[in-house]
Amino acid sequence: MSARVAHTLQGAGTDEVGRLAVGQQLADFELLDHAGNRRRLSDLVGADPTVVQFYRGWWCPKEQAFFRRLLALQDDAEVAYSRILSISVDPPQVNAAFRAGLGARWTFLSDPDRELQTQLRLRETTDTLNDPYVPAVVVIDPDLRIHAVYNGYWYWGRPTHEELVRHLREISRTLRVDWEAPTP
Amino acid sequence: MSRCWLALVEGPVEDAHASARTSNLDGQEIGTLAAWRQNAKPVRNALRVDERLIDPRGAPAWISLVLAPSGVRLPFDDLAVQRARRLVLSRPPPDAVSTLLRDDSHFEGAITVARSDDTKRWLRDDPFAQIYPAMLLAVEAGILGSVTGPTGPTIERYGSGNPWPWDRFT
Repeated sequence: MSARVAHTLQGAGTDEVGRLAVGQQLADFELLDHAGNRRRLSDLVGADPTVVQFYRGWWCPKEQAFFRRLLALQDDAEVAYSRILSISVDPPQVNAAFRAGLGARWTFLSDPDRELQTQLRLRETTDTLNDPYVPAVVVIDPDLRIHAVYNGYWYWGRPTHEELVRHLREISRTLRVDWEAPTP
Repeated sequence: MSRCWLALVEGPVEDAHASARTSNLDGQEIGTLAAWRQNAKPVRNALRVDERLIDPRGAPAWISLVLAPSGVRLPFDDLAVQRARRLVLSRPPPDAVSTLLRDDSHFEGAITVARSDDTKRWLRDDPFAQIYPAMLLAVEAGILGSVTGPTGPTIERYGSGNPWPWDRFT
């Protein structure tokens, strides 16, 4: 069995992209949000499961398509105590316009100096014009521990709505001490 | 549960945790915006507010103060209130925002704080003003702080007694 087939059989969400791997803890980095405010990851995550998306930029059709998937997730997440973050190298003003155009109601973060991108080894080396993030999605818990990683370089590597829900459910089940419904 | 109360009252306030004089856009003084951190309701028209908004060292600010007319109140989960919360998240974050409530389950108003010209412009189009009447007011220093916007996209309250957008169960 090839390594690639064996990896597929392990299950979705077990990719390794740059320094992103299941079980690793993200550094508690600071970036500017879409309004230009400096934000720390741990404050943004709070005590909820969080989807963190690294994306190329507003100009990429694959990203535009994947954002529609996140917009569908937004309708569930807004009542499910779960959060979403999107990170690119675009400056805050560009992120603000893109966010408004999408109708997204979560926080977009900017890494124009590519410091976090370098730290996480997430530069997409095949695009030397934009030097964007390689597309990746992680689902993390409030300790910033990575629960799932998806390599989105090829579009079908990205998580489906159902896969994101499954990871958010698994983290929530661990986090919420009253997960079991209180019945008589 | 937040036990921080906010009220617009006539004249000076002696026993508040923080307070500041307030005027309308014509510069006419209309009272004192005051906040108390205590269990008991301090004055008849006081409403509970996200305590992070209250900062006795806070700079002057413009606010949109939305208050339910006497005898009127909507469930917090009313679709109009849900829609207003979505709209707040979709816009550039204000300096601070909090819904106002008396009990656990009813929406009785909101306060939105702005300081920059950018965010001040949004006050005239406050989503909560589509539900109840709004007053645009200038507030002197000494009561209102800044609170970074919520991460999104959660519009639910964390604990039914808490004002939105307080974002933790503890």
